[in-house]
Amino acid sequence: MIENRVRMSIVGVIALALFGALFARLWYLQVAATSEFAAAAQSNSVRTINEPPIRGRILDAKNRVLVDNRIANVITIDRKLSSSRRAMVVSRLAELLKEPASAIRKKLEDPRVSPYTDVPVAVDVSYEDLAYVSEHREDFPGVRAEPLAIRRYRNGQVGAHVLGYVGEINQAELTAQPPSGHYELGDTIGKAGVELTYESDLRGKPGTERVEVDAAGKVLRTLSTKRPQPGHDVKLTIDYDVQKLAEDSLEQGIVSAQNTQDKGYKKGFKKLAAPAGSVVVLDATDGSVVAMASNPTFDPNTFSNGIPTPTWQWLNDPAHHYPLVDRAVAGQYAPGSTFKLVTAIAGLNSGVITASKTVDDKGRYSYPTDPKRFFNNDNGAQYGRVSLARALTVSSDVYFYTIGGDLYYRQKHALPNANALQDTAHEYGFGKVTGIGLPNEATGRVPDAIWKAKIHDENPAAFPYPDWLPGDSILSAVGQGDMLVTPLQLANAYATFANGGMLHEPRLASEILNANRTKVRDLAPITTAQLPPLPDRGTMLAGFSGVASDPKGTAAKVFTGFPTGMVGGKTGTAQVEGKQPTSLFVGMTPAANPRYIVLAVVEEGGYGSETAAPVVRRIMQGLNNLPLTDVVTLPPADGN
Amino acid sequence: MAAVLTDRRARLQTSPLRHLDVALVLAPVLISGLGLLMIYSATHTRLKDAGADPLTFVKRQAVAIVLGIIAMVIMTVIDYRRLRELALFGYAITVLMLVAVLGIGVQVKGAQARFDIGPLQLQPGELAKLFVILVLAGYCALHRGDLDGRRLLVALCIAGVPIGLILIQPDLGTDLVLMFITFVMLAVAGARGRHLVILGLLGITVAIGAVNLGVLEQYQIDRLTNFADPGKDAERSGYNQDQSKIAIGTGGLTGQGLFGGTQTTGAYVPEQHTDFIFTVVGEELGFVGGSVLLALFALIVWRTWRTARLANDLFGTLCSVGVLAMLVFQVFENVGMTMGIMPITGIPLPWMSYGGSSVIVSFACIGLVANIHMRRFS
Repeated sequence: MIENRVRMSIVGVIALALFGALFARLWYLQVAATSEFAAAAQSNSVRTINEPPIRGRILDAKNRVLVDNRIANVITIDRKLSSSRRAMVVSRLAELLKEPASAIRKKLEDPRVSPYTDVPVAVDVSYEDLAYVSEHREDFPGVRAEPLAIRRYRNGQVGAHVLGYVGEINQAELTAQPPSGHYELGDTIGKAGVELTYESDLRGKPGTERVEVDAAGKVLRTLSTKRPQPGHDVKLTIDYDVQKLAEDSLEQGIVSAQNTQDKGYKKGFKKLAAPAGSVVVLDATDGSVVAMASNPTFDPNTFSNGIPTPTWQWLNDPAHHYPLVDRAVAGQYAPGSTFKLVTAIAGLNSGVITASKTVDDKGRYSYPTDPKRFFNNDNGAQYGRVSLARALTVSSDVYFYTIGGDLYYRQKHALPNANALQDTAHEYGFGKVTGIGLPNEATGRVPDAIWKAKIHDENPAAFPYPDWLPGDSILSAVGQGDMLVTPLQLANAYATFANGGMLHEPRLASEILNANRTKVRDLAPITTAQLPPLPDRGTMLAGFSGVASDPKGTAAKVFTGFPTGMVGGKTGTAQVEGKQPTSLFVGMTPAANPRYIVLAVVEEGGYGSETAAPVVRRIMQGLNNLPLTDVVTLPPADGN
Repeated sequence: MAAVLTDRRARLQTSPLRHLDVALVLAPVLISGLGLLMIYSATHTRLKDAGADPLTFVKRQAVAIVLGIIAMVIMTVIDYRRLRELALFGYAITVLMLVAVLGIGVQVKGAQARFDIGPLQLQPGELAKLFVILVLAGYCALHRGDLDGRRLLVALCIAGVPIGLILIQPDLGTDLVLMFITFVMLAVAGARGRHLVILGLLGITVAIGAVNLGVLEQYQIDRLTNFADPGKDAERSGYNQDQSKIAIGTGGLTGQGLFGGTQTTGAYVPEQHTDFIFTVVGEELGFVGGSVLLALFALIVWRTWRTARLANDLFGTLCSVGVLAMLVFQVFENVGMTMGIMPITGIPLPWMSYGGSSVIVSFACIGLVANIHMRRFS
């Protein structure tokens, strides 16, 4: 028994020690290290739910609402429903909304919906259905109706490319956003156009609700709430009337061209393809975009509540010529004769020509070292002795070939101003983005000797000649060869010429306003360069005026009936390898001191005077308050 | 001298109830009352959400407590010496039930350990604790603690049969309790030192073998081994222990208040109303509440230890030692695992954890100790 007693004591000591250990550990966890665990419990159970802000509106230059939000009725289901009640509610809703139950179940499992809120399962529910649900509450436990703001583009397609569209943020966009934006999956974000450019102004600040949740994600209580702040309104420089006019005119011009025979096609009968085009209307005085159209187009409303997959596929099918592409900023075209503006200025500034110097246009030109290779006028037309103004009016290629040839000579012999053409092009904003701020803006291309050597090294198959040849200078002078411009660049260059040399960053928006229409900030015009004055600007303007009003002007037939001096401009017919020519026309109004630049480009639209100029004509009618006439494709005159 | 004799005679003649250890029997009642509150706290919100009576678990546990107190009374009233024979009967039934449960029991969380009889659930593994204690104590006392190799082997068989059957379920937690009880009882009964060393090694071997020979489910092994490396798998098996520590840690000195624990209302700790009931105490009642609870357990252990020393015979001593071993091991392992100093095994906290069999058996064990205590003079 003594032995037992000793062993009992040992058992007692061990028991005491074990209890001591428990007390010590309890003390450590609850008194010594408690703050550490408090933090862990906090991060365990506190979640933040973002409440999306109301997106700001987009207004036109006259404060007309182009884009706002409509309130849609959304039916939501409470996540906390037991699975049997959930199944019952889903089948009843499926019957009511005439939707398959599987589709509703799929929405219920949508991982993008915050796990702490009710799940939307049907958008744009009719009032009848809503009334039915609210009258039969006991049949629809956990079902609620909630308002949802959906982006509304009031005029459908009008302004689609400028306005852009919104959609649900994707992973790449989420990653790209700074954390200060508080974006999360499921949020709406601007995807294109002004919606994207002014995303930070339009969006507003999301509200946050901090809630305590349990391990299953059920909300237990709300800790704090911060209301969302609505986004700001963006006031555009776009004038809705002009925008509508531009789009209608472009559409008419394209449809008309598609029903017109291609005169340049000698082997038989073929219509103009004219699959696409664009229009830019600039205020020459400050670079404001008054209208900007691209065709084919789309309705941004289709994106507002998630674009249906077939629609998305349709929009991205090459057979439909990519309606989502904004050709005004992303399209790159050879400018053809419209580029003679730059050649003329380069010729004057370099001293290769003077305004009064004439060239004898015999219909063709050859560079002295290669007398057998001829560069011809369109149809071999001969204009005789032409001065600068006359050369612009009749679009004498020979006159400008001569400038190109002379500049090549200067380059060859290392004479001053040898690069005048490229330098002038860069001065007028070619070869780089204009800075309008729209996504996917193309830079265009101003080829020179260095570029040619480089592109040959990169791709010798497509560019077999490394050296800058006379033909390069000569073709560049008439906007052919490897020269590429975007419609916006071209319009902006004419605006710069027209306003006396102020190169602007074209702007789309003039003001940011808050929800009660007080100004948050101005978006003043930005002048990026003041070019030296052009003494012969008047002569050139006269030449451009002749295009529309001189009997021999390339677009004279188009502007028949317009008062003299109302419109000037320049046609362009750009040859494209393997395709029908690009039809271009840049119009200016009034002709002597232009306020507006109106540019139309129609891909595979034939001559400049044929398709593009009639489109511009109708817009000019609108800008000058003349009665509108329908766009009719005209048979081309000589000259391009 | 005469006075002493008179006193002794008086003691013999009066009812043994006069010598009842009131503290010993009251403490478990207090603990089980606290347990009811804690079970309510851990389960009422979820039950309400599910559309059930929020008192479902509380009511069932209350029934078990009443049954337990009845069992305690019965175990107190019958002279414990008569239990030596009766226990053999109970032991046999328990073994039969352990066999039967493997065939017709209900599979819960990987182990086949209980019968469902209507709303009642019977876990024969819990009963095994009581009868192993009684039969083992009876056998050792029969040989006056003189345990040579052969007798030790018989004693080991007494414990080994239920242990083996429970290992098949598998319910490692109950087996560990039984092994610990057996070891401590044999040690106190008078097993040879070298036998005890061998037994200890054998126990460790069996435990390791159970882990490695595929007897245990993977989750049971994960829980055990995660204890050594808690960061290894915080999402799965380590989650339980992390959340458990967080719950206790947030309690602080005075706790977040009854029914006010965020970890508890948020249901972050799985199995909170059963094996992890101590986390509710820790979070809602803090260090103060936890200490009081541990002190109540310590009180019971102390009174049991004291009873073992005062007992009138070796049988009484060994029975008390068995109960003591059971309580110490269950409390230390259970509370230790919630605080991250012991591996996770499914061992209930006596009187606190939701579960009728455990509550009833624990009360019965205390009845046995009280019985021994109050009959120490007769």
